[in-house]
Amino acid sequence: MLACRQVSKSYRTERGLVTAVAGIDLDVPAGRFTAIIGRSGSGKSTLMAMIGGLSRPSAGSVTVDGTDIWGLSDNALAAFRNEKVGYVFQFASLLPTLRLIDNVALPAMLGRGQGASGTYARAAGLLERLGLGAYLDAYPAEISAGEQRRVAIARALINDPSILLADEPTSDLDEQTEIEIMDVLRAVNREVGTTLVLVTHNLALAGQAQQIVHIANGALVA
Amino acid sequence: MRLLASLALQNLGRRRARSFLLIAAVAIGSGVVFTGATLMRSIDDSMAVGFTRLGADMMVAPEGALTNITAALLTVEPTDLVLDADVLAKARLASIARAAPQKIVRVEHSGIGSHHELVDLIGIDPARDFTIQPWLREKLNRELRAGDVILGVGRDAPLGSQLLIFGKSHVVYGKLGRTGVGTHERGIFMSFATLDALAASMPQRPAVLAPGKVSGFLVELAPGATALQARFAILSAVRGVKVVTGESSLSGIRQGLAALLKGILALMMLMFASMAVMVSVLFSAIVTERRGELGMLKAIGARRSQIVGMMVVEAVIATGVGGVLGVTLGILVMRFYERSLVYYLENIGVPFVWLDLPRTVAFAAAAIGLAAAIGALGAFYPAWRASRRDAYDLVRGEG
Repeated sequence: MLACRQVSKSYRTERGLVTAVAGIDLDVPAGRFTAIIGRSGSGKSTLMAMIGGLSRPSAGSVTVDGTDIWGLSDNALAAFRNEKVGYVFQFASLLPTLRLIDNVALPAMLGRGQGASGTYARAAGLLERLGLGAYLDAYPAEISAGEQRRVAIARALINDPSILLADEPTSDLDEQTEIEIMDVLRAVNREVGTTLVLVTHNLALAGQAQQIVHIANGALVA
Repeated sequence: MRLLASLALQNLGRRRARSFLLIAAVAIGSGVVFTGATLMRSIDDSMAVGFTRLGADMMVAPEGALTNITAALLTVEPTDLVLDADVLAKARLASIARAAPQKIVRVEHSGIGSHHELVDLIGIDPARDFTIQPWLREKLNRELRAGDVILGVGRDAPLGSQLLIFGKSHVVYGKLGRTGVGTHERGIFMSFATLDALAASMPQRPAVLAPGKVSGFLVELAPGATALQARFAILSAVRGVKVVTGESSLSGIRQGLAALLKGILALMMLMFASMAVMVSVLFSAIVTERRGELGMLKAIGARRSQIVGMMVVEAVIATGVGGVLGVTLGILVMRFYERSLVYYLENIGVPFVWLDLPRTVAFAAAAIGLAAAIGALGAFYPAWRASRRDAYDLVRGEG
């Protein structure tokens, strides 16, 4: 269970205080596919970052399975991001100097107590499941944008997270690739039971979700 | 750790031109510091030998004595006039650092060289002498003792061989190098006791061989004292003497060179400090450029220590390699220096003492270690600051 209580985020700028997210309450039951929709600049990505432990809220709390993640120590929060959350960014986020299999294995290698051989076998399995078995030793620059996004999904899944956060994962992809990426995400949600939170401004994609959260000007729209 | 080192290496390889320039800058800096420190230490050691060979700053001789002024005051001239051996000690002059008494007797029919050859027998106090012994080119492996003689470069006899002077047997203890001073080149040097023991064998007992008498003193000035100050102090405190100064102000050269070396050392330290600032600025820019990547690493679970560790390892590898290359470069420069300037100096008789191997290795290790430490320090602060930022701010290119 993921729960946000009066979560707010404000930034101090030269023009004064800017509020990106203002007092949002949100509950996402375990295993549910939730879409957060809204226009650009509405605060949906900021809300997602706070849920994923990437951006500290100015106020409010985010709890995952009863744990206030922003009350954790630096190392515990890093472990939370590493083990509980898989994050798919809206841009190509692979390390260009690492092979695809290294990129996928990286979160597991950063974590504690995971052997390299088991990790790499699992990374290879994930890439094969996502149709990239022939490219294990390739570098990101050698594959397409859609394939890179699939590698990013494989990387997000390497530690078996309970929550998968996808921030506009198909924003710069063609329609066919967008369908393929969404199929992968929904399959993970459906088959593994991973909670899926998708940020998008594409209403057609949001329509596939079990729960839709609409944000405008940093606040929930009823 | 292996993963971080691997990532660091790949990051260095990704920006080859920048990595090369960074390594080159550190190599030049650490090479200059290593070469400079090694050469300075060598010059310092050489100066210790060279300065002692430069002789005295001034000579104190009996008022009527003839004196031969050379660039380096190494010995007083043979004369019948004498001074009391304790005359300077009694005066207690602050401008004098040390004074070496000498007794010189010019003799004929001594049994050395041809029958009528005039030979200078020069008595020294081994404990107080500072103008003769630094020129010892070779000597027996023991202290100078009664019955031993030291030969000027113009006389040839094997070390340890017997030499008869007025029928008395003496042991050749050592040989001097080429000094350029006539009395030294063919002189026979010995302790006061050895010279005094020859008095009975001489046709006439020279006045200087009477107990408590010397031919004169060679004087080294105290630090900060000038030759003029010392001259006035001696002439006002001691009667019946003349003070002769050398052609060059050796004490000034001594003090000036020491100050120059300290100045060079300070400049090298400044250069190293500026290198540290440069590395820090560069890594600050690198961290800024890679905010997105660092944010992504944080987002997938990298701990702060891993973020800082990766950047520091990357910097240490780059600057450490720079340090190794710098030391290698420094060794090549010193080889060139050895084959050119040092060779020339040795040929004209100026001693150059290279730093010994253990200290050279220690300097090399210190230069590499310092270079690596500069990298670590230069990268640590920007990396530490970045690691404190929220992953989301880094990903968005803020912070």
